Amino acid sequence: MRTYELVFVVDPRVSDEDVVAMTQEYKQMITAGGSQVSKEESWGRRKLAYPIAKLNEGKYVLLGIESEGGKSSLPAVEHRMRQNDKILRYLTVRTDEDLKRAASRHPKTAGRAGESPAGPADAAAAAGTGSPGGPAAAAPSAAAGEV
Amino acid sequence: MARPRKVFYRRRKVCKFCADKIDYVDFKDVKLLQQFIPERSKILPRRISGTCARHQRLLQQAIKRARHLALIPFTTD
Repeated sequence: MRTYELVFVVDPRVSDEDVVAMTQEYKQMITAGGSQVSKEESWGRRKLAYPIAKLNEGKYVLLGIESEGGKSSLPAVEHRMRQNDKILRYLTVRTDEDLKRAASRHPKTAGRAGESPAGPADAAAAAGTGSPGGPAAAAPSAAAGEV
Repeated sequence: MARPRKVFYRRRKVCKFCADKIDYVDFKDVKLLQQFIPERSKILPRRISGTCARHQRLLQQAIKRARHLALIPFTTD
């Protein structure tokens, strides 16, 4: 099984409801392609480290994806994101191989190493949304994603 | 007569990731990455930070990913 993380940055002028709708659409595309969405996190509005398209902020959404090898809808999803000019940036990273390698490095702490994508990530997300002043934004959709 | 030599005590640098047993450097962990990007936002070289080769490689990849998503800057001026 392959796991991926897909993060995308949406134009902050897009309303929260529309961001949710967009996310929903991408999730549908992913599940239609035979993969599962295992995690969903919304980091809310965050300051960008540098301006993109003259914007200084962006809304971040993270999707964790599990897919069986072979068929994957990710290229199609990426294609759609590229066409959507409300999406400033996106990044898909395959995580299973690196995590497996990490787990084998410290077998004793393998449990912890396996959790590490979620652990520090959540902390980082919380810290990230905390500083610009939107800590509440992250919580509800992250919880909703765990179906 | 031997001149008294000035003795330098250099603290042994240790790889932060080895010490903390971090085997997967997450590009989302901005707090962690920020420790390795000094003022000019360049990636801190191994020779300064003491990071081991393996972890520097992982770190470099993570920083570049984070830069792409504008989580951390490419430069500051």
